[in-house]
Amino acid sequence: MAEESDGAVIAASLREPGAFGVIFDRHGSTLLRFLARRVDPAEAEDLLGEVFRIAFERRPAFDRSRDSARPWLYGIAANLVAKHYRSETRRLRALARAGAARVPDEDPAERAVAAADAGVRWARVVDAIGVLPEAERQVLLLFAWEELSYDEIAAAVGVPVGTVRSRLSRARSRLAALTGEPAAAAAPAEVAAARYDGGAR
Amino acid sequence: MTDDLEPLRRSRPDRVLPDDPPDPGILAREKARLMAAINEPGGLPGPRPTPSIYPRLAYRDERAALEFLTRVFGLNERREARMEHPDGMLAWLEIGDGVVMIGRSGEERHGLVSPLDAGGPTGMVNVYVTDVDGHYRRAQAAGARIVMPLEDMFWGDRRYEALDLEGHRWHFAQRRSDIQPG
Repeated sequence: MAEESDGAVIAASLREPGAFGVIFDRHGSTLLRFLARRVDPAEAEDLLGEVFRIAFERRPAFDRSRDSARPWLYGIAANLVAKHYRSETRRLRALARAGAARVPDEDPAERAVAAADAGVRWARVVDAIGVLPEAERQVLLLFAWEELSYDEIAAAVGVPVGTVRSRLSRARSRLAALTGEPAAAAAPAEVAAARYDGGAR
Repeated sequence: MTDDLEPLRRSRPDRVLPDDPPDPGILAREKARLMAAINEPGGLPGPRPTPSIYPRLAYRDERAALEFLTRVFGLNERREARMEHPDGMLAWLEIGDGVVMIGRSGEERHGLVSPLDAGGPTGMVNVYVTDVDGHYRRAQAAGARIVMPLEDMFWGDRRYEALDLEGHRWHFAQRRSDIQPG
């Protein structure tokens, strides 16, 4: 027997709220992995609970003709990550450090590269992620890290597919410019620091 | 041409840090919490109506403002309401049954200016909170500029005033009759 679609489960949860637990069972671990990639590990748990509480509250607005609630949940989670950009920045910095230390051993493709070089390249990619405009970073990482399709990203972010394509293409050119020029390697870190630490006191 | 994203794909945290997976206990804990909240009498609150009057405040950096107002003044964002644009964001923040909307300042943003541009605030947002002493301590510790001390006023409120990061003025108060003695 075919499994009920997420749309059907959410419809049922309007009458019987407990049914919503099935949505958590189906997507909780995916969303937790997404959050753990993007924010401090300690914060990932809090945000996971937040995602599903928000989803439960907003479930009357879910398009119940959709089979999968996953893009919708990704959209809620991505908004929360955007709100926690300090934590996101810390996560990226930790990643840059860890990547610099590990890559030469872990990754055959990088093994030929001297450890110091690999470290610099890591820091550059990670800095570049942090410098992208938020709308572009969201789309880029949903595509490259979460492996969502254009359609899924459009559903998650709430924009037309054409906008997803153009954001992704701008993000790619920016990433290439930021990571391709050794002379520019120092700039992204400065920009990121200004962006993330400049506003609040 | 798809190879340009290969370094980025390889930088995915769980590929760099394969020995650092999320604690599997998290899923069980959060599921239990969710179900408890869902099954609680009254359940989770539904979407709340927007009040008939609500102000819109303008900031040069509306993202920094969102971060500041939630962290320092304890406002809660209506996350599903947020609108993202490449050239600015709109967010709705609430405390109790009140809502303020925040966005970017500028000529093309309804001509609204930040206090940074106006030379000072041109209005004040008045907010009743449930624990004004706790609210004051949190705001002060988090670096809000306190411009009127926390005091009992003759009209029956206990209040203080503070400026946010761009200088909008906020008035936080509690009815003294609602404050538990001792």
